[in-house]
Amino acid sequence: MAVSFHSVRNGALVVILLGIPIMMLRASAKEPHEMGAFDRAIRRIGAPLEAAVSYSFGMLGGFFERWVLQARLQDSNEDLAGENRELKQQMRDLVQLEEENAQLRRALQMRDRVPEDMIPAERVGVDQSPFFRVINIRIDRGNSIAEPGMAVLAPDGVVGRIDKSFDDYSDVMLITDARSKIAVEVARNHAQGILEGNSEDSCIVDVSKDYEVQPGDIVQTSGVDELFPKGHPVGQVVAIEQLVGDQQRLRIVPSVRFDRIDVVWVVLAAAPEPDPRAEQVEPLPQSRGLVPIR
Amino acid sequence: MLRAFTHLIIGWLLVALVGGMADVLGLSLMLPATSAVVLAHAAFSRERELVWGLAVAVALGYIEDLHQGAPVGVLSLSFAISFLVLHWAAGRIAVRGWSMRALVSLMAVALIDTITVTLLFVLADPLSIRSEALWPMLLGLRWHALATVLVAPPVWSLLQRTFTVFRLDAQTPSELHLDVR
Repeated sequence: MAVSFHSVRNGALVVILLGIPIMMLRASAKEPHEMGAFDRAIRRIGAPLEAAVSYSFGMLGGFFERWVLQARLQDSNEDLAGENRELKQQMRDLVQLEEENAQLRRALQMRDRVPEDMIPAERVGVDQSPFFRVINIRIDRGNSIAEPGMAVLAPDGVVGRIDKSFDDYSDVMLITDARSKIAVEVARNHAQGILEGNSEDSCIVDVSKDYEVQPGDIVQTSGVDELFPKGHPVGQVVAIEQLVGDQQRLRIVPSVRFDRIDVVWVVLAAAPEPDPRAEQVEPLPQSRGLVPIR
Repeated sequence: MLRAFTHLIIGWLLVALVGGMADVLGLSLMLPATSAVVLAHAAFSRERELVWGLAVAVALGYIEDLHQGAPVGVLSLSFAISFLVLHWAAGRIAVRGWSMRALVSLMAVALIDTITVTLLFVLADPLSIRSEALWPMLLGLRWHALATVLVAPPVWSLLQRTFTVFRLDAQTPSELHLDVR
């Protein structure tokens, strides 16, 4: 059977094309958080594209909603219905404003409450993959502030950590992702363990049977991994499974609703060490020369 | 080459569109894999263009890798392998009508998901993935597949329409064989 040049060339090209993803996979296994210049260029085009589509759909949805509403009102009394529509719109705006206000207030309260150096970031993309739990955020404060590994928090608790970062945009690996591992403790008795992502809305953590844990117990960061600051809520225990040996497995539901967050906080640096001399009152240096007139 | 480029651009726009719509509608679970439909169209619309189709598959997989936050290479490789299987199937199955387009897209998404899951299980250690956490994901894949089947006919029609408008030979060879006129 004669083999033509054409089929040999095609075969070689197929092998080369299959080799490209294998090489990329090899590189990504070696350096999982590293993004090449080409990756960054593609994301630089893709991320604003997605944000623009999001914005356009939001506008289109609003326009469509208003159009449908108006068409219905024309069938009834136009004046009354028009007034009604305006009032409803105002109400909707007020509810939206109230919600925004509450969110911003909570975000500000969190900023005051948390001693770590943090920067706010806006969520610009959602979790799209059936395999990975990743959201995209944007820090509108110049380039390269965020770095892989930095913790990401929300007013309700821990969101995850930055997986990849490029320019203003970063991928945040949620705590429910299969690759996620963070050091946590049960708030009530300080039973420590490593929290691992399990499914879309749950995580698991194995802790020693020496500690009594109940459903409803709060799990928080322990700070042992030096990635997440200590004491931030992670979730609540919903089920306990006794494992063979001296461990028990806790199923945790995250305290953050990942589909409802709009603003998150990226922890840039750990809180400064407390000053041990802060409580001590040092004697004032004795004055020399002039004394106050009594 | 122009067809491959068109497939790639439409695929990329659809990925961004799905992301944007998911954000607006608050969807997270039942999201369609529009790239799988584009891949199926690329495989079934020009059965002789193996190399260009494979290049489209690798590029689309790479874009999906970046969009989904997956370790770069996983989806590129599964798209490439899936394309080879679909290309092989394209010589044996005639795609005509909405139901067949949906069925072929279902085949594409099932292939991509199966290969991706297999790759993730095989590479769990080097990619630091907890393999136990992959099992619950398998249950969610049925919604992924269903959403893909539902969007397959309109996406396929969009691709056909675009190719007709740009005179890129929209009618598939499979359809030409069956067109008894």
